[in-house]
Amino acid sequence: MSKLSFKRYFKFCLPAVLLALFSFSSSAQDGEALFKSQCSACHAVKEKLIGPALMGMEKRHKEDWLIKWIKNSQAMVKAGDPVAVKLFNDNNKVAMTSFNLSDDEIRSIIAYVKAEAEKPEPVATTGGQAGTAPVEKEQPIALYLIIALLVLALLSAILAKVQNTLATTVRQKEGLPEPAEMSRWQSFVTWARSNKKLIAVLLIFFTLYGTVKAWYALQAIGISQGYTPAQPIAYSHKLHAGDLQIQCIYCHSGAERGKAATIPSASVCMNCHKYVRKGPETGTEEIAKIYKALDYDPSTGVYGPNQKPIEWVRVHNLPDLAYFNHAQHVSVGKIECQTCHGQVQETMTVASQFSPLTMSWCLECHKTTQVKMAGNGYYEQYHQKMLDKFGSDSLLTVDKIGGLECSRCHY
Amino acid sequence: MSKKYWKGVEELQNDAEFVRLKNNEFYEHLPLDEVIQKKAVDTNTTPRRDFLKFLGFSVAAASLASCETPVTKSIPYLIRPEEITPGVADWYASTYFDGYDYCSVVVKTREGRPIKLEGNTLSSVTKGGVSARVQASVLSLYDSTRIKTPMMYGAAATWADVDKTILEKLNAIAAKGGKIRILTSTIISPSTLKVIADFSAKYPNTKHVVYDAVSNSAMRQANQMSFGMSVIPSYNFDKATTIVGIAADFLTNWISPIEYSRQYGVTRKLDNGKKSMSRHIQFETALSVTGSNADERFAVKPSQQAAVVANLYNAIAALSGAASIPAASAGELQKDISATAKSLLASKGSSLVVCGINNVAIQTIVNGINSLLGNYGSTIDLDNANKMRQGNDADVAMLVDEMNKGEVAGLFIYNCNPALSLPEGNQFAKMVKKLDLSVSFADRADESATHCQFICPDHHPLESWMDAEPKAGLYSLGQPTIAPLFKTRQAQESLLSWSGNTMNFHDYMAAFWSSNILNKGTGNWNKALQDGVFELPPVASKAYTHSADLNAAANSISKSSSNGFELVVYEKTGIGSGVMANNPWLQELPDPISKITWDNYLAVSPKDAREKGWKQGQVVTLSAGNVKMNAPVVIQPGQAFGTVSLALGYGRTAAGKVADNRGVNAYPFTSLGADAINYSISGVDIQKSTEDDYAFAATQTHHTMMGRAIVKETTLPEYLKDKNAGNHPELFKKKIGHHEEVDVKAEELSLWREFEVGNHHWGMGIDLNSCIGCGACVVACTAENNVAVVGKDEVMRSREMHWMRIDRYYTSDADPKEGESGDLKAMENPSDLPKVVFQPVMCQHCNHAPCETVCPVIATSHSSEGLNQMTYNRCVGTRYCANNCPYKVRRFNWFRYSDNPKFDFNMNDDLGKMVLNPDVVVRSRGVMEKCSLCVQRIQEGKLNAKKEGRKIPDGEIKTACSQSCPTQAITFGDYNNPESQVKRMWKPEERSYHLLEELNVKPNVYYLTKVRNTSEGKEA
Repeated sequence: MSKLSFKRYFKFCLPAVLLALFSFSSSAQDGEALFKSQCSACHAVKEKLIGPALMGMEKRHKEDWLIKWIKNSQAMVKAGDPVAVKLFNDNNKVAMTSFNLSDDEIRSIIAYVKAEAEKPEPVATTGGQAGTAPVEKEQPIALYLIIALLVLALLSAILAKVQNTLATTVRQKEGLPEPAEMSRWQSFVTWARSNKKLIAVLLIFFTLYGTVKAWYALQAIGISQGYTPAQPIAYSHKLHAGDLQIQCIYCHSGAERGKAATIPSASVCMNCHKYVRKGPETGTEEIAKIYKALDYDPSTGVYGPNQKPIEWVRVHNLPDLAYFNHAQHVSVGKIECQTCHGQVQETMTVASQFSPLTMSWCLECHKTTQVKMAGNGYYEQYHQKMLDKFGSDSLLTVDKIGGLECSRCHY
Repeated sequence: MSKKYWKGVEELQNDAEFVRLKNNEFYEHLPLDEVIQKKAVDTNTTPRRDFLKFLGFSVAAASLASCETPVTKSIPYLIRPEEITPGVADWYASTYFDGYDYCSVVVKTREGRPIKLEGNTLSSVTKGGVSARVQASVLSLYDSTRIKTPMMYGAAATWADVDKTILEKLNAIAAKGGKIRILTSTIISPSTLKVIADFSAKYPNTKHVVYDAVSNSAMRQANQMSFGMSVIPSYNFDKATTIVGIAADFLTNWISPIEYSRQYGVTRKLDNGKKSMSRHIQFETALSVTGSNADERFAVKPSQQAAVVANLYNAIAALSGAASIPAASAGELQKDISATAKSLLASKGSSLVVCGINNVAIQTIVNGINSLLGNYGSTIDLDNANKMRQGNDADVAMLVDEMNKGEVAGLFIYNCNPALSLPEGNQFAKMVKKLDLSVSFADRADESATHCQFICPDHHPLESWMDAEPKAGLYSLGQPTIAPLFKTRQAQESLLSWSGNTMNFHDYMAAFWSSNILNKGTGNWNKALQDGVFELPPVASKAYTHSADLNAAANSISKSSSNGFELVVYEKTGIGSGVMANNPWLQELPDPISKITWDNYLAVSPKDAREKGWKQGQVVTLSAGNVKMNAPVVIQPGQAFGTVSLALGYGRTAAGKVADNRGVNAYPFTSLGADAINYSISGVDIQKSTEDDYAFAATQTHHTMMGRAIVKETTLPEYLKDKNAGNHPELFKKKIGHHEEVDVKAEELSLWREFEVGNHHWGMGIDLNSCIGCGACVVACTAENNVAVVGKDEVMRSREMHWMRIDRYYTSDADPKEGESGDLKAMENPSDLPKVVFQPVMCQHCNHAPCETVCPVIATSHSSEGLNQMTYNRCVGTRYCANNCPYKVRRFNWFRYSDNPKFDFNMNDDLGKMVLNPDVVVRSRGVMEKCSLCVQRIQEGKLNAKKEGRKIPDGEIKTACSQSCPTQAITFGDYNNPESQVKRMWKPEERSYHLLEELNVKPNVYYLTKVRNTSEGKEA
């Protein structure tokens, strides 16, 4: 290795080593892991969550004090440490958890926070474009089609004209007489008479096709299977129920108790989104909509007076004449949510109607689903009676206990 | 002698109109003339083409509309209140009191809207009973006539402005030393009385005047004279074996009717081996609900009432060796009075005489009677007084006098409507206009409030905090079950703020309770609020002997004069004193007696009608003193001869769209007497007027049962001899072998296979003995099942939608008795004074239902739980089922009754629609509907049991009607449960029977024979 190269190498190395020494010291690296596992539920470096932003804490408090505080803050408050009491009061008297960390571990966390605080702000991406999924603009297919048709029509008109002119020219050259004038209809009739079989086949085909099409079209009236309306907030079931594995019942808490599964109130969203403020893609803007609805200021943690409910679009619209009760199916029938709502956690980035919700669909299920009688005190004697009659539990389907009767759903 | 049952004068006389209606049970007139104006048909040359155009257009429009799926918004709470789960009802204990009716209730709310009231079983006053009026009060909450902001000089204002101006005026009056009067109805709220006391302390020249439109002031005065206590005692009807009512309609109107009817019901029941029932004798003028339930009823003129009371006293005194008092002759009633006295004495100490006449002398003698009978301390409890009806008529008279002299400077009107209900209301209204300050707390600009400078609208009871002490030591609490709908303010809070107290009423009341009420017993505020009641143990009831001068009292009433017709004003079961006149549910509730809806009328006796040539609906001119008005005639069997009666609460002019200009105002016929308000007047001249006959909307002659034996009846002596008396089944011949025949019951002859019954078999039993016909069930059913109000016109076409009706049958001996010589009474037509039977009829849920077999689209079918199901969305409206129903309980939707300006009742405005039960569909036009046995409640009860993994205990699921029945005449339950009451009560070998058993449709609803406690042992 030449002297020069060594010098160069050293020149590059020195700042790196210095940096490593002062910024990315090993303690700061431990601190990062510790911070994320122990502190981040309540604290962020630059923002207030439940607890205050930690940036600059090493300047505000002495290290000894901080260590003591983190190990047992309540003891300090009770002992009447004025700084501790003030901090406790300033943060809505929410007691900080006591942590069983060593002094060095705490020091490493402080170092990490300091290092994080000194990092420059990332350059803001313009308007969050990067995060937004490209909105597919509806292609004006119809317009293109019309243009294409017009072009074709124009072409055929020109070609017809050319053919006509050529034919006339040929006739004039050859001295042939002009053909007898025939109206279009007459010429069509002449053609049709000589192609009777083709006409018959075509007629039968179109009639059949039309009937079948109309039949299915009529069948689909009022059925909105696959209905996937745009929602005011781009909430993804796939993310929440699938990737994050949040139970359905956590948000749709009515499903176990009453007739409506219920769309969660914004306060339920806030259970998590008080802390989770950002998302990797569109999350940040969408979460901000919850804050706007609640008139919540994330920087101060204060709810304002100008609250406005979120107007979701209802996906499952059962007609008023049908009474459906979630609790009956979820709590008593022990039916999985996915049976009717599909693999929400795997497929639905936007909520969609999975089932047709027709009466025949309901009845089909009632004919095949076994009643969960065993162990339910309500069915005690009845269960035995039904077993005597039908032989086995697997034959005791909902229809056997009157599950197809009108007044179970219509009143 | 055979008994005859009839539904009305029309049937008895086989009136031509009745025959027409009977034969055409379903009104078939198609309103073509109204739809297609005749002129248009005549002049237009191509209506057919237009018709086809419209047809084509509507088909196209309908098919286009059906292809589009509307976007429905679903808006969750931002912060869901902890107790609310959308779709699950919450129940809150509360109190209903409007100055007239009291009831401890539980309020059913859905997503923060109260939708139904039910009785609070924890209350030892009402014991879970409710009345038709209390049931209907929830609809008055959503009355769009309520004023939405405070009003100042007839214009909307802000509370700040109103408060400022009123305070200025109050201070000016106080500086001058002017008189301030607070005119209120009875106030049973202890903390409200404290609020008024605080106000009076701040403005010392204030006097609180208590005024009840229907007053029992004389009773308090009489008790003051007799016992030195100005109270209304507690009555224990349940301890009474002989009950005598004198012009007291204690089952639906008098003082505390919900309490009394529950007690009365207990004494009328004959189940669980009970062999005795109370004997009830009623003396009254107009046929009341109470009178129609009596074992013996005597029609007396108001002028005879004093003689009846005095002679009853003398008859008892003679038998028990006491001195007699001066009494006018009771004439032909003397024999009945003596018999009554014997009955009373036979149950000395457990008898009860109640009297509703607002006359101090008469009430004093009644006290004497009860004292002779030793009823104080047993059936009458003076130590635990009833706090209802505190009105002081002398104070009212004094106020009227002061007002007329112009001595009053400021007047506050709370919970009463003096301009309407005072005998000279118009004069009062004129004087109100001259006051320095006049404030009304009315919820609407009613007859009195319109004359006031300020209207400071009070909350509806369901929006208010309130407390009540209906009986001494028995407190109840009311809590708001909805945030105030409008910018109203509780009257107590208004008074507090004008007395310089900025506390809200809740805090005020809670503080008052902790220092004055809760400390008297064990309990705390939260428990009291949750229970709705806070009850101290009753004081031991002592025996009392009256100490009033009966001779003086008797002397003052011994000479009564009577000339011309005598008129009594009375309260109808639905409208009462008129507090809730603007409530369409109450207006459409058929009067239990006349079965007429939407009107009041002049009830006259059949005999008078015959003599004077009055016809049903004829308009007559009444004049008494300087009061003159026209009213239509209703021929009312049971009305005393020579008397007419007119119901209160009608003839409103400023109550709202439902009540205004319906019927006539009867209050002007009352008068402020020497010491109390009189509710009868003699010397009424009645002349036929030239007005056209008036048409009533009566449900009386519809749904007739074509003369078949439907009500079964017997007497107590017969019943004790033979448990099956009056209920011997009709037997049919059945062939066995070739020549032999045996007698069998209808149920053994069946063409049909039996339905298989599943886990439950729901059924209902109705005890005709305890049904008093009050109509609480009908309103409860209306509220629970979103039954539409159809209005007077449609009721006249027999198109009322009530799922249940209470049939009222009159019964009398078929022919006039052969008169004993000189006995005038026997010469009378017995049908003029008939006995009455009530029978609630709803869908009987037949196991072999005739309706099910004729439906071409299977819209009505049978369930494995014994229900006859009606599926509206399947119904195409052929009405075959209604035609084939032997009970006539099916109702057809001739129109869309919601969102239809032609039916401008609660379902035509957004506010009124808030009362709808979201668990029951609002039916559309062209479908049939009927009682479902409250299937939504059954399903809910089953679901709750399944969720908790337990059986359904008997009595947990109740239908709306069985829940609301104040006498518990309706029992609902599961026949599959051997322990259930409905199963245990089913004893065909005793009193149970099915309606029209011979048809063998095997209903799941059964009835229990009515037993009258009469001495004559004749069987129906």
